[in-house]
Amino acid sequence: MKKLFILFLLGIALGCNPEDATPTDPANDAFDETMATLLREGTWMGSGSYNVSGVAQIYDDNGKKVLLLNNFSSSNGPDLRVYLSTTTGATSFVNLGELKSTRGKQTYSIPDGTDIDQFKFALIWCQQFSALFGKAETL
Amino acid sequence: MLVTLIKELKTMKLPITCLFCCFTYATLAQDSKTVNYADFTGAIGRNQGSVAVDYFYVWKAGKSKKIEVGLGGRFTSYFASSQYYSSAPASLASDERASDSLLLQSPQVNALNLAINVGYRLSGKIGLGFNIDALGFSFGGKQTGSYLNGNLGQATSAKPTSFNILLIGNHDRGSLNSEFYARYFIKDKLAIKLAYQYLFTEYTTETKIQQLPEANDRFRNKASLFSLGLTKQF
Repeated sequence: MKKLFILFLLGIALGCNPEDATPTDPANDAFDETMATLLREGTWMGSGSYNVSGVAQIYDDNGKKVLLLNNFSSSNGPDLRVYLSTTTGATSFVNLGELKSTRGKQTYSIPDGTDIDQFKFALIWCQQFSALFGKAETL
Repeated sequence: MLVTLIKELKTMKLPITCLFCCFTYATLAQDSKTVNYADFTGAIGRNQGSVAVDYFYVWKAGKSKKIEVGLGGRFTSYFASSQYYSSAPASLASDERASDSLLLQSPQVNALNLAINVGYRLSGKIGLGFNIDALGFSFGGKQTGSYLNGNLGQATSAKPTSFNILLIGNHDRGSLNSEFYARYFIKDKLAIKLAYQYLFTEYTTETKIQQLPEANDRFRNKASLFSLGLTKQF
């Protein structure tokens, strides 16, 4: 009976493993800023105990909008996503994808039709636990 | 009676028909031996778990009385962190492109249901079986989360769907528990129960947050869990 109880506790422990964290190898996406038009720009700020720094820039690259994270660094966490949002609370947002790395230069395509004047906040958001890691208001 | 049964099947009222058949069987099998089982089980999966308490009144059938058919009730409490719920109505659930998601941070659903049990007593010490919730109600607190439609999302809140009913396939509604189980009797009337639990929980959003291809406010999570528990035979 005692063995079965221990087995059950072991099952609970294995069942509660956290999600994998974001890669930490520095990203270095190829993007030539001189060949694109800068539309909006903001500075990353961490939220609470999380540290996020660098610059968020939105470019028009031959008719396609792109979010560029430059000199970027972020605290690590599970299921980190890059959002464009109307507020810092992700009330209404566009998910640009998983954060590629906690460091380095990285680009994210912005879907056609996204109103970047409305979705002016770039967020690093932990989707799994609905937690804000960092924000940049683009102006 | 056969005509009625066929009509019921055609109108997809199978669970009600099953319950009716069980009651009929119970009435007819007056010389059957009966037993009662009470179970307490705890189940666990990735970032989720459940506890369930049930009580079944069981009729033993067959020449050697090894077949067990029972009716009873079950209370299930499901708790989890960060779970994705998918569009629940059958018309949306059957088409992946039409199904959106609701991500809830701390879902917690309590369900009280009438349940059906079918089992087979392999020997004095071992029994196998299956049970499933059929009809009941659910309750739980309001939860916040995100509605996800492709790469678009918005914050929302939802509560457990109140009414539960077992229908066919994706036509089910509400929160329903089911188990494939094995019991090993360690004492005359006390058994350890191991089970594979398949648990549906359902939330209803405050508004019909999904608009395309049709308006929808119901979202379902299907959890596969392994459970361990105790059975007391009366």
